[in-house]
Amino acid sequence: MARRRSPARLVIALSVAAALAIFLVYTALAGGTPSLRPSQVAGHDGRVSVAGKVVGQPSGAARSPDGLRFTIRDVEGSATLPVVYRGSVPDLFRTGRDVSVEGSLRNGVFVADKLVTKCPSKYTNKPA
Amino acid sequence: MPGLGSAALVVAFGLVLYAALAGGYAAYRGRRRLLDSATNALYASFASVLLAALVLLAALARHDFTFSYVASHTSHELPLGYTLASFWSGQEGSLLLWLLVLTGIGSAAVALNRRLIRTVLPWTVPILGAIASFFALLLVFVASPFATQVAPADGAGMNPSLQNPYMLAHPPLLYLGYVGLTIPFAFAMGALASGRADERWIIATRRWTLASWTFLGFAILLGAKWAYEEVGWGGWYAWDPVENAALMPWLVATAYLHSVMVQEKKNMLRVWNAVLVAGAFCLSLFGTFLTRSGVINSIHSFTQSSIGAWFLGFIAVVAGASTALILYRLPLLRSRTRLESLISREAAFLYNNLFLVAFALTVLWGVIYPLVSEAVRGVAVTVGAPYYDFFGIAFGLPLVLLMGIGPLIAWRRASLRALGRSLLWPAGTAVIVGILLLLGGAGSSPAGLVGYTFASFVLAAIVLEFVRGTRARHALGDGSWFASFTSLVGRNRRRYGGYVVHAAIVLLLVGAVGIGGFGTTREAKLAQGQSLQVGDYTLTYLGSQQERAANSQELRARLAVSRGGDDLGTVLAGKNRYFAEQQTSNEVAIRSDWLRAEDLFVIADQFNPDGSVFVKALVNPLVNLIWLAGLLFVAGSLITLWPDAREQRRLARRFAEEGALARA
Repeated sequence: MARRRSPARLVIALSVAAALAIFLVYTALAGGTPSLRPSQVAGHDGRVSVAGKVVGQPSGAARSPDGLRFTIRDVEGSATLPVVYRGSVPDLFRTGRDVSVEGSLRNGVFVADKLVTKCPSKYTNKPA
Repeated sequence: MPGLGSAALVVAFGLVLYAALAGGYAAYRGRRRLLDSATNALYASFASVLLAALVLLAALARHDFTFSYVASHTSHELPLGYTLASFWSGQEGSLLLWLLVLTGIGSAAVALNRRLIRTVLPWTVPILGAIASFFALLLVFVASPFATQVAPADGAGMNPSLQNPYMLAHPPLLYLGYVGLTIPFAFAMGALASGRADERWIIATRRWTLASWTFLGFAILLGAKWAYEEVGWGGWYAWDPVENAALMPWLVATAYLHSVMVQEKKNMLRVWNAVLVAGAFCLSLFGTFLTRSGVINSIHSFTQSSIGAWFLGFIAVVAGASTALILYRLPLLRSRTRLESLISREAAFLYNNLFLVAFALTVLWGVIYPLVSEAVRGVAVTVGAPYYDFFGIAFGLPLVLLMGIGPLIAWRRASLRALGRSLLWPAGTAVIVGILLLLGGAGSSPAGLVGYTFASFVLAAIVLEFVRGTRARHALGDGSWFASFTSLVGRNRRRYGGYVVHAAIVLLLVGAVGIGGFGTTREAKLAQGQSLQVGDYTLTYLGSQQERAANSQELRARLAVSRGGDDLGTVLAGKNRYFAEQQTSNEVAIRSDWLRAEDLFVIADQFNPDGSVFVKALVNPLVNLIWLAGLLFVAGSLITLWPDAREQRRLARRFAEEGALARA
């Protein structure tokens, strides 16, 4: 008798799992921010995140109305993107580092309000 | 010296490979003496890896920059403690630590269960050997910590963010946790391969699993404490892939620790447990892979790390082999008993498992989603904190509720009426606490209010269990109340230690809800003499100062703190500029108030040329409970781990009986 009951439970469990899976896929597709390379940003109007390498000397200050200005380049490539950032600057930010910025493109300049550098445990500091 | 280290690693590689191959042959053909030889090779490999580790430690201590590893991770100015800790700050050293811990605890677990392994679980030895072979292979051929170079005048130094005491302890504890999960995996798969699906491997590995799980959990909290103080954005957990990497195996191991009790007591859920133990191990490998390969943070440069592809291949092999083995032994794993009722202790464990695993899979989905979406749609999409927060609440709240109900519900079949009676007091307490909190204005965060109501429900249930047990013992005439209490806990360590761990999780929840749902943040540009109001606190900028420390220049903003007219002294927040590393590090000011159970958290974000400073200040309520929860968690685990002679005798008796039954 106990044997006859268990398939029903299996079905219930499987359907719950399936419902959850569909739900997960749905929410993950609807939410989330596209992560792009600098070369892919053109044409995206909405909020995106862009990962690239900082090139050239950053100028300005992040906690001022004009913001911190710098340029990022495809990690493996040559396309560049000018960025204006306002907010806290992470410790590891500097020229040559891989960063990810979040914001949107306005008149050819990427206006960012979030700046993340890669996890410090992966860095090997090169002697200057 | 580098030659000695390399040689020791080559020898270790040979030994673990021998343990895997000879051990496998011995287990297959039932050759006990050959198996002993393979076991000895495993022991010897530990000595050899230890020698390699000592060579690297000595090189670090002597600042021997002919070692590329030493030169790229330390400098002359770096204090000795951090210099030695550089052992695990890079990829090669971390792998060496993995192998050292693996051969060490692998040998210890095998030595302590030698008779069991010789007679019942011979496959455990070759499985441990095979896993160790993978790491030894990487260390010998792909990522050697003993690569040499012409010594530079000074090394590159350690990343300033890592120069923090919590970062000294976090990685080795994390590795102890990750690697420790190898033991239950090797024993479980050893039992399956050997065709012994009884519960002896569970008994043999219970403490190893618990200890690894404790290390992993504690290491996650240490990492959170480090992030809170050193990364300094004001929070403690950010759902970063690297953090999630440790959380996933911990969640699955938590599920396993619960469901394995059902197997131990009722012989149920055997397939499920085998799947969980394999899943936890795969996730711990995946965690190492995530933190070490850089695949997620920089998804477009897959070739960046030399070991990424190796790890993926190994995870695939482990997952494939475990699945095949479980399927092959499926007939053996059929349970003799079945779930009798959906309202029972067994069922509560099952629900707990479903939620924990669902949560772990949700996190996994979020972590790999950028890769999946890039493969499917051509654009990598990352999911942020809202996704994780939503599912954390959706799966976390039922889990908390189950934590209160589970211990009060009867095994096999419980009546709703009896369950209602035993839940009366905890539920009543929760309702009262909920109403009081609502009147106190906690309704500003509905999820927080529900969380606190559930938390008080669980705490009341736990306290009730302790009170009932102590009263029962006291009624038996066990002396004073205190003696009754200690003998209650002493005689049922697993049960009451488990309750202490549950209480720790509730504390963690209370702290997390406090900082997440009821915190305050303010920011402003302050000229000298100007003030900023945050919560009940007033911060007044007094001026800046500079000091030269051993390896850095320290710039600080002095801020006077007052609350309701009371002067509370000054805090210093600012930045350090490190010379050798040419890098700045934010040094936040944290003023903990234990009586009000809140932190004032001050970040001096930017020093302007005109003398003003940009300040961001937060009031983090109840965050201290998170750290307190970590200590309570370890205390509870220690209670359950403590050796118990009575329990050993009971188990020995049980297997003697089962053996007799099987022979009859």
